[in-house]
Amino acid sequence: MAKILIVDDSSTVRDEVGGFLKKNGLEVVTAVDGTDGLNKLKADPGIKLVVSDVNMPNMDGLTMVEKIRNELGNGTVNVIMLTTENNPSMKERGKAAGVKGWIVKPFKGESVLETFKKLSA
Amino acid sequence: MGNEAQLVSKVFVLDKFYEYFDQIKQFCDQNGLVGLKANFANIMTILSSNIDLGAILLADNYCQSLDETMDLARQIHTIRPELPIVLRRTSISGLDDLPEKQRKLFCATYTIDDMSPLRKVIDEYIFSLYYPNALVRGISEITSSTLANQFKHLKVNAETPYIVRDRIIFGEVFSLIPLESSWCRGYMMLQTEEDAIIDVLGFDELAGDESPATFRTVNNILGEVTNLIWGAFKNRFVADGDPGSRSTAQVPIVINHQHKYISFGSGNPQLCFKYTLLNEEDGHLITIYQWFVFNLNWSPEDFQEVQTSVNDLIDSGELELF
Repeated sequence: MAKILIVDDSSTVRDEVGGFLKKNGLEVVTAVDGTDGLNKLKADPGIKLVVSDVNMPNMDGLTMVEKIRNELGNGTVNVIMLTTENNPSMKERGKAAGVKGWIVKPFKGESVLETFKKLSA
Repeated sequence: MGNEAQLVSKVFVLDKFYEYFDQIKQFCDQNGLVGLKANFANIMTILSSNIDLGAILLADNYCQSLDETMDLARQIHTIRPELPIVLRRTSISGLDDLPEKQRKLFCATYTIDDMSPLRKVIDEYIFSLYYPNALVRGISEITSSTLANQFKHLKVNAETPYIVRDRIIFGEVFSLIPLESSWCRGYMMLQTEEDAIIDVLGFDELAGDESPATFRTVNNILGEVTNLIWGAFKNRFVADGDPGSRSTAQVPIVINHQHKYISFGSGNPQLCFKYTLLNEEDGHLITIYQWFVFNLNWSPEDFQEVQTSVNDLIDSGELELF
């Protein structure tokens, strides 16, 4: 089964988002920051969708996405940012790095579940 | 809260002449003050625990003798030096009759016939910083909305925002996050009681987990609430492309755990909000204090609201596909 990687330094968010997706039949892997996310993605080719926060310690989410594309050379994994940030220049940076979508927190699972299923299939 | 986000400040009124209370209360009402009274025996207890005071109004005949009143003022000043004490004189005006050591305890005096010096003190010590209504109202809105979203089964109430001078931390756990823009530079602080959150959660329901909530659960929840409010604050009040502050200056933040005291290095009054989250089924209550400490830069003349709360609410949680 395709997996979704959730990258967020907040365990509250990891538990909330991960719990919701698991309840809806999706397989979930979690990471605590960008560095951890990069390592988890490298180690698990089954991950088809990354849902990541932007502001995190050690490595932020957008830097992680840029490294996924440039250093890992992974141009296929889908990435959605789940963040409190809503500023256009940050979104532009995400778009340029190949981010597929942007959600401003809070997470409302029902409204994105179908899209998550499609992107992780 | 109404459209006018009028700020108030609590003052401790230590006065025994009940015939003057109406006059003092009227003055308080007209000047955005909330007067608090207490029994003599409880004064020090209240001062050790109340976190949102702006000043002390003390009558020189509050105790049996002037010497005893001066001793009380000295005790208050020792435990709460950040709070200005204003002395109401009964027979003479001014401080000339007092020795230098006692004069230093007071920032000003007033008489019941002339309360204008008190007004000056309020302007100088309490309402010395201007906070735009849109900012005050917006903070209350985004915080209430965040709390309601995070604690779905609790009823959120936002009290009238305060201006505080004291530095006593409420509860056992607090979070701090820097706020930086061209018009402000400082911190937002959230303070709460660990047990209150654990009692309300019972189990870690936010995580849908069956394990009991612990102090780590409280830390995580407070951290995420802080993050959400911080994000909403930036989205609403800091424009895209805001150049930020040109200054890199910092000052140490000093925290004294034993005295539950925090100093940001500035004596400025601070903007304070109080929220209560009530479980209407069992009466459990969480209290959260939110302070805004713009100790490094405060330029309200450059403040501008970026977007309306309505747009903010519509956008949040929705997936924007690129």
